[in-house]
Amino acid sequence: MKTFAHAAAATAREAVAFLAAEPPGTTATRLIAGGTDLLTLMKAGILEPRRLVDIKTARDELRYLRFDPDGTLRIGALTTLAELERHPEVGAKLPILVQAVRDAATPQLRTVATVAGNLLQRPRCWYFRGEYNCWLKGGERCFAREGQNQHHAIFQPAPCVAVHPSDLAPVLLAVDARVLMQGPAGSRVIPLADLFAPPTDDRRSETRLAPDEVITELHVPPQPEDARGVYLKAMDRGAWAFALVAAAAQLALRDGKVEQARLVLGSVANIPWRATAAEDALRGQAVTPELAAQAAERALADATPLAHNAYKVPLARELLRRAILQAAAG
Amino acid sequence: MSIRIVTTHTEFEGRVYEQRVVMEGEEPPVWGPDAELAVVGTPQPRVDAQERVTGAADYAYDMQPAGLLTAAGLRSPHAHARITRLDTTAAEAAPGVRAVFSRNNAADFQNPNRDATIFADELLYQGALVAVVVAESREQANDALRLIHVEYEPLPFVVDPDQALGTGPLAATTKASNILEEYPKTYERGDVDAGMASADEIVEVHVETPACLHNSMETHGATAEWDGRMLTIWSSTQDLFGVRRQVATALGLRQNQVRAVKQYMGGGFGSKFGAHDSGLLAAYAAHRLGAPVKYMLTREEENLCAGYRSPSIQTFRAGAKRDGTLTALDQRSVASIGQGAWMPPVAMATKEMYLCPNVRAVDVAVQTNLGPFASFRAPGAVEGTVGLEITLDRLANALGMDPLAFRRQNYAAEHQDLNRPYARKLVLEAYEQGAEAIGWGTRNLDVRRYPNGKGGMLRRGVGMASQMWGGDGGPPAQASAKLLPDGTAVILTGTQDIGTGTRTVLAQIAADELSLPLDHIRVELGDTEFGLYSPPSGGSVTLSSVGPAVRMAATEARKQALEVIAHLTEAPTDAIELRGGTAYNRETGKELGTLASFLEQLDGHEISGKGMRGPNAENMTVRTFGAQFAEVEVDIGTGQVRVVRVVACHDCGRIVNPLTFSSQIEGGIIQGLGMALMEQRIVDERFGTVMNANLEDYTVPTIRDIPQIDIILLDSPVVQANTIGTLGAGEPPIIPAPAAIANAVAHAISRPVSALPLTPARILDLLREPAQ
Repeated sequence: MKTFAHAAAATAREAVAFLAAEPPGTTATRLIAGGTDLLTLMKAGILEPRRLVDIKTARDELRYLRFDPDGTLRIGALTTLAELERHPEVGAKLPILVQAVRDAATPQLRTVATVAGNLLQRPRCWYFRGEYNCWLKGGERCFAREGQNQHHAIFQPAPCVAVHPSDLAPVLLAVDARVLMQGPAGSRVIPLADLFAPPTDDRRSETRLAPDEVITELHVPPQPEDARGVYLKAMDRGAWAFALVAAAAQLALRDGKVEQARLVLGSVANIPWRATAAEDALRGQAVTPELAAQAAERALADATPLAHNAYKVPLARELLRRAILQAAAG
Repeated sequence: MSIRIVTTHTEFEGRVYEQRVVMEGEEPPVWGPDAELAVVGTPQPRVDAQERVTGAADYAYDMQPAGLLTAAGLRSPHAHARITRLDTTAAEAAPGVRAVFSRNNAADFQNPNRDATIFADELLYQGALVAVVVAESREQANDALRLIHVEYEPLPFVVDPDQALGTGPLAATTKASNILEEYPKTYERGDVDAGMASADEIVEVHVETPACLHNSMETHGATAEWDGRMLTIWSSTQDLFGVRRQVATALGLRQNQVRAVKQYMGGGFGSKFGAHDSGLLAAYAAHRLGAPVKYMLTREEENLCAGYRSPSIQTFRAGAKRDGTLTALDQRSVASIGQGAWMPPVAMATKEMYLCPNVRAVDVAVQTNLGPFASFRAPGAVEGTVGLEITLDRLANALGMDPLAFRRQNYAAEHQDLNRPYARKLVLEAYEQGAEAIGWGTRNLDVRRYPNGKGGMLRRGVGMASQMWGGDGGPPAQASAKLLPDGTAVILTGTQDIGTGTRTVLAQIAADELSLPLDHIRVELGDTEFGLYSPPSGGSVTLSSVGPAVRMAATEARKQALEVIAHLTEAPTDAIELRGGTAYNRETGKELGTLASFLEQLDGHEISGKGMRGPNAENMTVRTFGAQFAEVEVDIGTGQVRVVRVVACHDCGRIVNPLTFSSQIEGGIIQGLGMALMEQRIVDERFGTVMNANLEDYTVPTIRDIPQIDIILLDSPVVQANTIGTLGAGEPPIIPAPAAIANAVAHAISRPVSALPLTPARILDLLREPAQ
């Protein structure tokens, strides 16, 4: 790791000021919260910031979990995964969030890792993390596309075929979360779905967060009365692993029929992958095993697996089928 | 005592060595089945448990002599390259840097263990060493690594064993072939072609086993200090005397100018025989710079250059009569050994485990542009057992026979290869007790009935495999036992506790021989300065080699103590007995006094007994045998395998400590489960580089993956083996575990399994094939 200067921001505004002080287009200053991803990127030499700005010092402003009177959950950006996991009201009203966090990383990491950091984490692709000048790092080609791609994408909207590793992102998308960001010109709120975008030639990252913006809060709107969610994660061992594939299903039923469905797959693309075709298949229907299978089939119909990850197609289909059935069963 | 030189034979990892050893005095008679032992055989927590769990235990990594410098290595990013230019001047001038060693200034520095220069011009694998920076801090050393300027000429490389055997490039430009010298090697007995011709059923089986990384918690390396007279090296090693010899040779010192020390170790698993390049470099730098130097490998270095279980490609043909009699076994094994220089005994079980008159085993060791493989807990035997036991199950299926009945029918009572008896082979007992415990008799019924969970997506399977290994050890191994004035004892040996509990079991043996409570015994080990030679701790030989030496030393000390007491009390020596640290007159029942009360009268004289491991019995083969049974659940929707339960039954002779024994069995099974289900090094063949030389992408089992493990003890001494009747337990438990799990998975999904690990990806692929 290269040596770097260290500063602390007492507020989000101060953090933005540190970022905005950089010449445009440079990333020599980075914010650090839990650091669970940033430090590994720095140790691997992928990021070499000249200055780290600690944002944990803004905890009074950014570390909270509360429900508004209308039922909206507000999650401060510095909330740790462990706090989310252990919050009794979150567990009661949004169990899908707890299911996802419980299987993320290790207890030690969850104690320091923050919600915003989790959403902004970079892919685990071994070419990206290793000493390969891959496309995502500014190089010419994605080495995984023709290489060891067993953990990679089965939907490829970008030149890079790495997958988004977050457990939290799919479930936050499934509950239609919004993200509040602060920049030099003020704050904006966008659907979380709009934060994520496949990387492009000009923007080799998985989010649309501007270099001088900081995430300050996530909102989860109140869910319908009888909404229920299920998150299922397949790993190549029992714990402490990123998902091979994950499936999140959040359903709201009325009179035995699906009124609202949000289905999201994890670890299948550069971004959390919304399965809208499957949602359409469920809407207005009573969930039967056949319907769940059909919906899951539709979700994977357009998958284009690579040489070593064909297994992800049946695996994703099966997890989604089960998640739909379990969510429907309550 | 008279000294004599004895010739004997010892086995180590499947190879038999002739050994000449010095014997002094006589070993005590064997502790037979009826020996009255109070401490041996009882479960005892480790005598150093507190140090280990509180962090007080000093590992090689923890040593911090004053003025310590830290080394860091620059390693080749290429699978095969030649250094055309190497400039270290900028690094040498960097802050805190004391030296940079490379071919520019240390070209003649050799590792005597492999008779090769450490800083080569031709780099044969990713991770081959280019230069080592020694600086005042690790951070300074790392910063300086970036300032070294290297120009490489990339050379053609080969990492795939089939390509290396075929038309692929040469892994080293100095060699004429990628096949190791003297290979292929063929073993043959009987007439395999005739055996196949007489068979009613023949199966052909192709099996591949993965490259598994040891991933010891503590990486390779050492801290070394040179005081102008003596070089002390604190090494993470399984072989202190090997470290001493290698360091002395490499530095041109005499052996007695080198002291090798290791009190605690964070795992070795076979990869830490000797000093390793990292330890030699720490010693070299300390010697050249006159300051203490630490070089411990990073996790990535460890997983690129410090060894792995060599992956194997095995092809079997096996034939049997309709009644289940094996007629022929024909195995071809390719071991992909990277830059290693020997072949592990993949065909060991094929030659011996089952009764078969016609056996052929062709071994091929092929070199590639990957780091050198290293022994890994029963090297060869684990891979070969996967191949053999999968083949046996296929043949049993083809014959319509129960796989266990098939194995029973082909039980080999004698060592077929050498035409001599085994000291003991309790494998039929292991089958019987293991089958009973796992419910073998109903395994097929349960498959049909089981279960309704997860919408009928779970399939249950039960499989088993047999185990065979050495573990008898042998001489030379020395020990000394001292009785101190306070009535306690110190046992000295030069052996090392590599994490198995050696300190504890040696203390138990001494406690019984000295009739002292366990807490009156202190065991000192892990230091060559005691001058008490011990063998490398590998091949499951530590306890069976060193234990008898400790026992003899304690016996000698006890004899002397009895003579002292006889002199002081005027009781006849043979009437005196020691119990719990007190002497009694056996004839009168009278208490004579505590041992301490007599020893105190000796004006500080310490009673000292010498012990050594006696020669092995000739004309018989001593082996550990056993069997494991595994029950698995396979989720046919997701391809996930859960091992529910493993039953392990191994004959390792007398069990000195059921607690440390259980730790070995459990650890072996867990490590075997990792190989069966998840562990494999991944290489990008376009670049010849390892993708997962870390603990994220290389997955080892977590607590959630660990099944219920039921251990059945077959606890009785092998009286022909050594004076404590104990055989090693380090390697036996890993040997059958992957094979038993693989057979259980095949049973569960009704499809043949032929490659490990059985990841969800592989299971989902297998499930696309029709069931059999």
